[in-house]
This record gives sequence, C-alpha cells and structure tokens, in this order.
Amino acid sequence: MRSGGVANGAGAAASRPGHEVYEVFVQSSALEPHTHVGSVLAPSAEWALQVARENFARRGTAVNLWVVRRRDIAATPADDGDFFVREFDRTYREVSGYSDNARRWKRFKARAMTMDEVMDDVRGG
Amino acid sequence: MTQTLYTRFMARIERGEKIEAADWMPDDYRQLLLRLIHMHAVSEIMGAYPEKEWVPRAPTLRRKLSLMAKVQDEIGHGQLLLRVAEDLAEPLGRTRDDLMRDVMTGRVKFHNVFHLEAPTWADAGIIGWLVDGAAIITQTALLDCSYGPYARVLRRICAEESFHMQHGESIILTLAEGTPAQREMLQEALERWWEALLFFFGPPEVTASARKMMEYRIRSRTNEELRQKFLSRYVPRIRAVGLRIPDSRLRFDEETGRWTYTEPDWERLGRMVRENDGPKSRERIGLRRRAHEEQAWVRDALVRAGHAAMV
Ligand SMILES: [Fe+2]
Ligand SMILES: [Fe+2]
Repeated sequence: MRSGGVANGAGAAASRPGHEVYEVFVQSSALEPHTHVGSVLAPSAEWALQVARENFARRGTAVNLWVVRRRDIAATPADDGDFFVREFDRTYREVSGYSDNARRWKRFKARAMTMDEVMDDVRGG
Repeated sequence: MTQTLYTRFMARIERGEKIEAADWMPDDYRQLLLRLIHMHAVSEIMGAYPEKEWVPRAPTLRRKLSLMAKVQDEIGHGQLLLRVAEDLAEPLGRTRDDLMRDVMTGRVKFHNVFHLEAPTWADAGIIGWLVDGAAIITQTALLDCSYGPYARVLRRICAEESFHMQHGESIILTLAEGTPAQREMLQEALERWWEALLFFFGPPEVTASARKMMEYRIRSRTNEELRQKFLSRYVPRIRAVGLRIPDSRLRFDEETGRWTYTEPDWERLGRMVRENDGPKSRERIGLRRRAHEEQAWVRDALVRAGHAAMV
C-alpha cells in the first residue's frame, strides 16, 4: 500500500497553483456503489463538486457525487501483481465450481435453485 | 421543528427514497435498524462457529477448502454489517468495541440456529443447505430496505450467498446419493434441525415493532410470509432427495395456498436465544470472548504503528 498516491501514474502535484487534483466518484442510483469516473482540477472540494457535475453528470442519472483529494487516496502499486495473486484454483469458491449440482438434482427429479429465482420470488409476488 | 423533519422523512420513505447515514432520521427508525443490523452482524459471526468446527474434519480437501471459504465469507458479512451498524450507533455514543462486547454480555442476541450442535458432517451439510437457505430468504426480503447502506451491503452479501447455496446443495446431494449409512446420517441431521428452521423466521404474529418496520419500509414481508416461501421452495426438494420431514401435520393446503405445520416450541427455543442457554451457546460465546481478548494486543499494536507512521 502507499498513500499520498500517484493514482494512475500521474504526479501528485497539481498543475495549477492553489489547485489540487480530486478524484471523482458518481453514484448512479441509491442502490449502486459510487463508481470512479475520472478526476478534476479545482481550488477546493466545493468547487471540485461543481466541476465534477459539469464534467461527469451532464447526462445519465446521478444521485450523488464524491470528490476525494488524490493525495488522500491509498492505492496498491500498479505493478505489484503479487498482491492479487491466486496461488491455486479457486473454483470451489464460485458458483461455477458446482455446475454438476443441476445434473445431480435431475436424477432426483428436482431442479437446482438459483439466487435470481429466489430474489424474484421473495421480492416479487 | 421535529414535526416538519418527521413529515419530510416520511414523505421520502413513501416516495421510495433511500435514507443515508448522515440524513436526519427519527429515533425509533435508528433504533429499529440498529437492533436489526446489529443482530444480523453478530449472527453472521456466531454463525461461522458451528461450521468452523467441521473445517478440520471435512471429508475431502475440496470440502475443506469450500467450507473455509464459506466461513471466511460469513465473518466477512459480519464485518460489512458491523460497519453499517457502527454508523447508526455513533450518534448514540456507542462504538465497534461496544457492539462486539454486547455478544459476550448477552446484550445482543443471535439467531437460534447458531446455538445448536452440529455433531455430524451431515449437520454441516444441512446448515449450508437449509440454514443458509432460510437466511437467503430473509436477506433477499431486505434488499429493498429503505436504509441505503444496508440495502447496498445486502446486495454484496446475497451475491456471495449464491455460492453458499451451491456448496450446501453439493454436500447434501453427495450424502443423498451415498450409502444407506450416509442417507441415515442426513435424515438424522434433518430431524435435529427442522424445528429450529421453522423457528428461525420468528413468530407468526406481527408485533408492534415489525409493523413499525414495515411502515418505515425497513422490511416489507411478515415472518409468516417468509416461512411460507421457505416451505414452498424447500419441502419438495427435501422430499425429492428421499428425506422424511419430521412433522406429520405438514401439508400444503390447496384451498388457502398455504402450508400448515406443527408450530415450533416458541417458548423453549425463544428462551435459548434470550438467555443463551442452547447446547452450544456458552461454549461459542466463550470462544468469541477468547478471540476478542487474545487479539486485543494486535489491535493496540496497529494503532501504535499507525501513530508512529504519522510522526
Ligand atoms: Fe452470510
Ligand atoms: Fe451464508
């Protein structure tokens, strides 16, 4: 980890005196997480929000914006693949690792269940 | 003043808007949510205990890996939920440490199913299949909760639960396809868990606080509606794999479109949750306390290291 980040390889210093780089996160609906969309250069957080709205929320829906000073972001180094390394096959953690369940249910004359089907059932009718 | 805030809040709820941590909310909205999410968080953590008991004894390496992955997920769910609870507890002057200590002092309860014994590998299978199955139903029912941070975290949790669903099915399919001894073990495990599974959804009466939660759109389904969903989804599958459900009165009434069943012993199982007097309650709370206390030095060291890095 590092802080005072040089996110995306750019320098931490702003290219205009009295300004700072703010990373911008847009939330498209209240149920979605905020998503990183890019950055703006601004003299204050308030101003960064105004610029972010003009740059990133001109169309589409947005319910909320976050701006975070780039130097306040801690990030993993872009060239450290080891940080995310998977030492061995991890399909045992995935739904895809159990694709034989469906066939096995069939032998019992029953159907495998899916999460989507439960969601529709419980949230719907 | 409070009156206009309240009117505005209710108008937001009725428009289907999501409430965020820093928004104004009535005290009872905060209290109801905090109680719900605190219990949910603690149940995820205490829920890992019966399964973790089977990690060293899992029958194959692959089962051991998937069980460990599941235990890790459940603790992870506890972490995500605690964070949501902490933000709600903060204005009340309560911290993460308080929320965790509440488990040890009995101030917060956890789900009945996690007070029980899991004596065989088939119990680990029934937990993965049916306890998670029941929990998936109660959690999906909260996906539309009016509190944004909870609704968003539940989305992540439900995505991971889809693996738990497959993991549980896989274990019980193997046992059901197995030898007569394996099938018998599965049957016995089902008999141990059935009553507790019905209890899990809570009493059929709609209590005053349940009604309030519906008014606030924290939840939209009654306990009984969810229990009925569970029965409709799982009874046919339980029977399909050749298991007998230990309830001679269980049947689907075509006329009312509802399941009738023998009511669980609300009094006895309720006491188990209220007083932590289930067969495994004390032992698991003891393990939780030990983990909390023995790791205190790590938390302290991290804080000291953080301060050192700042100077
Ligand atoms: Fe979970
Ligand atoms: Fe789970």
